Amino acid sequence: MADISRSIKKQDTYGKTSGSIEYISDMKIEGALHARTLRSTMARARIKGIRLPELPEGYYIIDRNDVPGMNRVKIIFDDMPVFAEEVVKYIGEPILLVVGEERAVIKDVIDAIVVEYEPLEPEFGYVDSVIHYDYEKGNAEKYFDGSCRIVSGEYSTGYQEHIYLEPQGIIGLYENGKATVIGSMQCPYYIKNAVIQAMGCDDDMVRIIQAATGGAFGGKEEFPSLIGCQVAVAAKKTGKPVRLIYDRVEDIETTTKRHPSLIKFQAAVDEENNIKAMKVHVSLDSGAYIGLSGVVLQRAMIAASGVYTIENMSVSGDVYETNTVPNGAFRGFGAPQMFFGIEMFINHVAKEIGEDNLNFRKRHLAKQGDATSTGGKFRDPIIMGKMIDKVMDMSGYEAKRKEYSGRNDFRGVGMSWFLHGCGFTGSGEQDHIKAVVRIRKNTDDTVTVLAANTEMGQGAFTTLRKIAAGVLEIPVERVIYNNPDTDLVPDSGPTVASRTVMVVGGLIARAALRLKEQWIDGKEILIEERYKQPEYVQWDDKTLTGDAYPGYSWGVNVAEVEVDPVTYEVNMKGLWGVYDIGKSIDDRIIEGQIEGGLLQGVAYGTIEVMDTKDGKIRQRNVTDYIIPTASDCVNVESVVMDNPFPLGPFGAKGAGELPLVGGAPAVALAIENAIGRKVRKIPATPEYIMELLENG
Amino acid sequence: MAEIKFILNKEEVTVDTDPTKRLLDVLREDFGMTGVKEGCGEGECGACSVLVNGEVVSSCLMPAGNAVGKEIMTIEGFAETERYKVIHQAYEDEGAVQCGFCIPGMVIATESLLNKNPNPTEEEIRDGLSGNLCRCTGYNMIVRAVQRAAERGNGLW
Amino acid sequence: MVNSFFPKTYDEALELLDQRQMILMAGGTDLMVKKRNWAGLAPLLDRDVLFISELKELRYIRKSGGFIHIGSMTTLEDLLENELTPEILRKAVLLMASPGIRHIATIGGNIGNASPAGDSLPVLYILDAKIVVDGKGTERMVPIEEFITGPGKTALADREMIKEIVINDFKFDTVHYEKIGGRKSDAISKVSFAGGATYRNGRIDDIRLAFGAVAPVVVRNRKLEGTLKGMEARNLVSAVENLQQGYGKFITPIDDQRSTAEYRSKVCSNIIDRFIKKAGDAV
Repeated sequence: MADISRSIKKQDTYGKTSGSIEYISDMKIEGALHARTLRSTMARARIKGIRLPELPEGYYIIDRNDVPGMNRVKIIFDDMPVFAEEVVKYIGEPILLVVGEERAVIKDVIDAIVVEYEPLEPEFGYVDSVIHYDYEKGNAEKYFDGSCRIVSGEYSTGYQEHIYLEPQGIIGLYENGKATVIGSMQCPYYIKNAVIQAMGCDDDMVRIIQAATGGAFGGKEEFPSLIGCQVAVAAKKTGKPVRLIYDRVEDIETTTKRHPSLIKFQAAVDEENNIKAMKVHVSLDSGAYIGLSGVVLQRAMIAASGVYTIENMSVSGDVYETNTVPNGAFRGFGAPQMFFGIEMFINHVAKEIGEDNLNFRKRHLAKQGDATSTGGKFRDPIIMGKMIDKVMDMSGYEAKRKEYSGRNDFRGVGMSWFLHGCGFTGSGEQDHIKAVVRIRKNTDDTVTVLAANTEMGQGAFTTLRKIAAGVLEIPVERVIYNNPDTDLVPDSGPTVASRTVMVVGGLIARAALRLKEQWIDGKEILIEERYKQPEYVQWDDKTLTGDAYPGYSWGVNVAEVEVDPVTYEVNMKGLWGVYDIGKSIDDRIIEGQIEGGLLQGVAYGTIEVMDTKDGKIRQRNVTDYIIPTASDCVNVESVVMDNPFPLGPFGAKGAGELPLVGGAPAVALAIENAIGRKVRKIPATPEYIMELLENG
Repeated sequence: MAEIKFILNKEEVTVDTDPTKRLLDVLREDFGMTGVKEGCGEGECGACSVLVNGEVVSSCLMPAGNAVGKEIMTIEGFAETERYKVIHQAYEDEGAVQCGFCIPGMVIATESLLNKNPNPTEEEIRDGLSGNLCRCTGYNMIVRAVQRAAERGNGLW
Repeated sequence: MVNSFFPKTYDEALELLDQRQMILMAGGTDLMVKKRNWAGLAPLLDRDVLFISELKELRYIRKSGGFIHIGSMTTLEDLLENELTPEILRKAVLLMASPGIRHIATIGGNIGNASPAGDSLPVLYILDAKIVVDGKGTERMVPIEEFITGPGKTALADREMIKEIVINDFKFDTVHYEKIGGRKSDAISKVSFAGGATYRNGRIDDIRLAFGAVAPVVVRNRKLEGTLKGMEARNLVSAVENLQQGYGKFITPIDDQRSTAEYRSKVCSNIIDRFIKKAGDAV
């Protein structure tokens, strides 16, 4: 049998290159009404009253009073309302929908609505903590008693906006008491549970169907639950299908983004230049509602020692609520923030104590069998040594670093080491998701995989089918996987957390194995497989101790830059990456994840600038919020090294988020090498670089 | 309102509409050409790209009135051509397609580039695609797809 | 809904323009964004519209009597493809926008839009561009620095349109163009610069500098340029500090969502240094 890694053709390429695949805004639904959102213009205010114009026939206002069930969007922490209540908490918060047939009329209605506000004092910055976590490993405090040298560092990261090319879009229908929601999404069952809660109905009275999704990156993980609830409520009230499609400015201004962060480190270094203990504090800005910020905080905190083994750790973190747009999931989910912090810090410690940073880092690098930050264990082989050698060889890192350190010509190289815990943090899979997949052998001997995971460009259609086909030893063409429809597929969990191949693919492989054993030509057979947490994965959610993840993927990046001394702009000269994701289920798909993720990470570190003024986002369109074009990137040289994971299908681990994590620290370290100044903030814009050079 | 006459995908068409309306909206709504996408509405992302007399244009910036008498080709029309087949195959072979939303625009931009410059350098390819944003792929696999298409072009351009 | 007019000839356009106040719709690349409405709805235009991009009489590049004449409806792509286009203008256009915009954006539109960050403008300033403005029976030629009067403001009167741009047909011995945006292509400038120098017997005969995006209009100062005339090229670098101080008075950038005033000022200063060194080394 051919090696599963060998790339195959994807099933939807023709539909995409020919423009024939329909995304949600392309679909024509008979009798559908348009909807548009009226939003708060205040960062924090009490709504004293809303003056509505006279509504023409066939036009409706949908607001909190129309929500049949609970006016709360189900997102881990249920604080976000479906429609604003008495107090609005961010500029852009949805107050109501205007729904009707003609967009021009809807516009007239919205323009005529007057909201009377009583302004309240908004809060910004890391002030109002709403979630606090901490954990301990060993006894960190002991080493801060004066016996060791203490090195400190403080690092900050900014917003990142997904800019999936397809803006948010969703359609709600309501017939015979059942709500159907179709849209651009990552997690059909998240939306289903949210709509059930908002509609106050039974489980079988909600149906969610994923439309072809034009990019997501976490931006369509929990956000669509909000608009899904809104259109379901609207469809029930109007008795017609309701179509809510965001335009780009609306999308940038009002949807979730990566949490900005401030991370403080203290390291206690002994006489032999070993870090004996570390204290770390993470601050995240959640925006106006908490949502899943607590989980982002956990992942960031768990990553506090990066790829290094630090025997004693005291880690704490806080989520701060502010009157700005609520933040949420974005590829990496807390790890990109922390890996920027820890990689810069470890290099700064080395510099501070006068040791070569490569030796310093190698000495602290985690080994198989070491305890993780939370006192779990790195059970599986770690091949970072090989990977580091390889990436240094590919890039000529050592020679370049020596050369560029000596010269004054603003060229530099930087190397980042990183990992990503695969799957949900801690007991999430076991306690909350409880994934189920089904696999149905049809009478014509094709096989349909029934799961709720979504294709959003990352290749899920292909990888999941290949896994089933590989186990069953049948051609991939005979395996069917369609966009999930919750009426037809079980809840295999969300398409997030780098779990799709490892966890869901793992379930599919197990189901396929059972099917293979029972296979009878011409007969219909249905197999169901449920998730079982591996016994050795022990996690205490209260103390945040134990194995946070069943497995880890690893990566190394080298970036080479040239900084223009006149304009302080960063020109990318080279990018290299070596990755351990267990086993590639499809080489070209993995290459696509690597290249796309790495560029997102590099841009997060350099040109993606977003800030707020008095709670209003200043970069509200793609002209002002800058992502790279084809002219802005360099060719990437990447290698994937096999390191099969026993619990993953064909040895595969997670690969979706890992490639982004290493991008920003690699380029920030390269900039440091180029300009001879410490970089403590991303994005490391030309303005920031100028500041560093001017202030010495 | 005015009668806007132009050639759409090789066919003469007429539409009675406000000439200041975006060509993007006229194509999507009056002619059902949903392969032409709205990604930003301000001419930055290229998802709305169409060919106007063989050259790539962001249709969200073009008022319908400026289409009068011109040859407009959308991805739907281009997908019927031999050149499309070569481009499609190259994109498929290089794994250049992920979520697909930028892709019709990329294909149109590819055609516009190769039409003028059948053997572009890598820099010229990147410049030719500079008006098409992609968030999934990191661009390099798309650049390689264009190189492959040019190599295989075999006199088509 | 506003009325739209499609003149078949230039004279017809002037006639229509004379009868009423109109918005001039050239390529649409600025107007369609400035006045954009929701998807599916016509842009928010409050006046009748005159569609002028198809007037073939306005789309040309010609050389005559030491001048280059560019019709206002010449597209940016036309400029790239024509060998009469001065090198420095070509450099600027290549960095502007993207192919999908350059194919329909016009030079007349770029000037009429008069954005402080307009990329072609610093180049036109150092090429001593003159704008030919026409209304029914009222043709006049206005130097570009008098034509653009403020951010988004021009000396175009109500019933007038830009007919032609005239630039001197001379070649600089050294040219320098820089555009600093948030990324390499398709970006609005934080700072832009156009500079050119010609020499005679190793001395500066003519040197010009213009800065974009750092003041309400393009900054060009002939007095400061004049201080360099006659200097030996290899000594030019000694003038850098004076120039930096001198231009410092006229370069008044702002803080905005794209950049900071401090950055823009400092980069202008650095570019003066870079350009003067380049001009000094060229001989």
